Amino acid sequence: MIEFHLESRSGVPTYLQLVQQVRQAVRLGILSPGDQLPTVKEVVSSLAINPNTVLRAYRELDLEGVVDGRRGVGTFVREQPPPLSADAVKRLRAELTRWAAEARAAGLDADAMAALFGDVVRTPAARRVA
Amino acid sequence: MNALELDGLGKRYGSKWALRDCTLEVPAGTVTALVGPNGAGKTTLLQLAVGLTRPSAGSVGVLGLSPQRDARELLPRVGFVAQEHPLHRGFTIAEMLRLGRELNPRWDDALARERIERLELARGQRVGKLSGGQQAQVALTLALAKRPELLLLDEPVASLDPLARREFLTMLMEAVSEGGITVVLSSHILADLERVCDHLVILSHAQTQLAGPIDDVVASHRVLTAPRTDPATVARVHQVIRESHTERQTTLLVRANGHVYDACWEIHPVDLEEIVLAYLGYAPAPLLREAVAG
Amino acid sequence: MIWVGWRQQRTETLLAAALLAALAALLIPTGLNMASAYDHGGLASCVGHTDGGGACGAAVDAFVQRFRKLGDLLDWVTLVPGIIGILLAAPFVVALEQRTHRLDWTQSITRRRWVAGKLGLAIVTALVAAVALTLLITWWRAPFVRFQGRMDNSIYDDEGTVVAAYALFALGLGLAVGAAWRRTVPALFVAFAGYFAARLFVDTWLRQRLVSPLTTTWQTKAGGHVLDRAWVLSVNPVDAQGHPLHLAECPAGAGPCEVKAPAVSHFQAVYHPASHFWALQARETALFGIVAITLIAFAAVWTLRRD
Repeated sequence: MIEFHLESRSGVPTYLQLVQQVRQAVRLGILSPGDQLPTVKEVVSSLAINPNTVLRAYRELDLEGVVDGRRGVGTFVREQPPPLSADAVKRLRAELTRWAAEARAAGLDADAMAALFGDVVRTPAARRVA
Repeated sequence: MNALELDGLGKRYGSKWALRDCTLEVPAGTVTALVGPNGAGKTTLLQLAVGLTRPSAGSVGVLGLSPQRDARELLPRVGFVAQEHPLHRGFTIAEMLRLGRELNPRWDDALARERIERLELARGQRVGKLSGGQQAQVALTLALAKRPELLLLDEPVASLDPLARREFLTMLMEAVSEGGITVVLSSHILADLERVCDHLVILSHAQTQLAGPIDDVVASHRVLTAPRTDPATVARVHQVIRESHTERQTTLLVRANGHVYDACWEIHPVDLEEIVLAYLGYAPAPLLREAVAG
Repeated sequence: MIWVGWRQQRTETLLAAALLAALAALLIPTGLNMASAYDHGGLASCVGHTDGGGACGAAVDAFVQRFRKLGDLLDWVTLVPGIIGILLAAPFVVALEQRTHRLDWTQSITRRRWVAGKLGLAIVTALVAAVALTLLITWWRAPFVRFQGRMDNSIYDDEGTVVAAYALFALGLGLAVGAAWRRTVPALFVAFAGYFAARLFVDTWLRQRLVSPLTTTWQTKAGGHVLDRAWVLSVNPVDAQGHPLHLAECPAGAGPCEVKAPAVSHFQAVYHPASHFWALQARETALFGIVAITLIAFAAVWTLRRD
């Protein structure tokens, strides 16, 4: 079972810290597929944070496919998809490089590019599809 | 639905306005932080919401009702913990719970007893002999066992040590996670507020300076730095909350209207504490500046 | 609210009860003693026949002498209704001072119910205590009263309906001063001082004027039995026409002189007969009662309106 901890001064929003800790735990094998994440109430009891923060983190993890939130039962770790093939990574990197050149030509600096990219990435899946 | 709606609300004591022209909405289900310097009107706002005092101007709507006219209907649904968390010092804890049971129709005695047990407090102990932290916990238990839909807390952890504070907030958050409750709490301790609250209201000079979800607030504010320059171009697009200049450098804290695309500025994220401090030092309009000065 | 109000005045109620219990412990044994002395001495038959002296006169004198000290001790009992009233005002004022009324007002009851509950309970308790006190003292004094009547100030104070009115008045003063000045100890001191001053004023000046006194004139030889058990306000020698007599005075600085005492043929007295007892009681009760109700109402309204 995972135990969350918080770094309040890290500048990283709380929900994101929880998300990262779950991802890390899955990567390291602390959490295996089928394991249940602590309930919202349990997290709230141990960290004294807003339950909405926990809900948000779990929702994010659900959207990313890391966990599966089952109403009334709990939140469980999913079977993880296989890692990306080297070809896929190469292809994506090339596309990104092309995009970056285009953006620089349009006048965006590195920070602006990162902001725009981050904005798009955080959009919910539904909107991305449309 | 909004748990709390203030419309031009004002309260005057003698010739001094403790709260003035305050308009804001607190959505149901949120945990809202009420922040501001002493004398900004936080206590007055909470007292107006629970009906302990009457407005001098404007109106306050609580769960859609008026605290003055609909007191009998509203009081069972609103919980309040005052700043000094007054308790009847000669009463034992058991007697305080009995008071809650006698005076509240929606009293959940099982919940109250369970919380007291978890706090490891003896029911026969006199309230006056408890520590500050324990008294705060008892006061909170009293307010929560009433099963309110809206809970108002006036600086509930101000006089508590860090451990007591943590325990208090834990109990509060557990109550929130059970659902159906909106919380408004005023506090100076910003680190606590950031963990626990999802909404923010900044009160300064008896007026609302800022109100909104905390995530939005943090995401939309930036610190901009550049070699010494005139902030006019930035100020046209974004709202400058605080500006300061040294000989060589200009620093701005802005509320950004979209991304800041002006290349000459270096952009930094800013944490909640800096934002709040900037607003507390902020004089929002020339009118107010004159009023404060004169 | 009833339990809450009672619990909030529990200490004060117990103190008042303890005070009454102490008085009872003091008075019941001696009261029984007096009652039996009265019965065994056959003094009942002496009531109204003490003028001519003789066996009755001596017996009554002996009785009075024996129990006088205790009677005098009870002079201060007239303060007890004041103490009880002030005591029972304390919980209300303490609640305001410590701001615990705000805790109660943010439970689910309205302010009005809170005020009504607490004040109602205090009033009922004060009245019960006052009635108990009156019954106790009246029973104890009964033998004396048969001989001396109850018009004398110090006895009048403890009998009839005035005791309840005094207690309510003290309660009202405590509540009113405390509601305006939310500091318990000084407020209650001031209230008690007010009670004392008012009682003194009424006892010494106002009471006798509540009902018109009667006047009677009689010849020196005839007895003044009409004044038996009455409250005599003044007795003066008068002449046969009823005009006051003046003793001739020595002119100042004229050296020794002899004053010729005039022959006194008649006396005139201004008095309240025993039959005025209830009329006086009723008016004094009404006076203190109305003031008490006004003070209590003020305390209620002031508390409800403030903030």
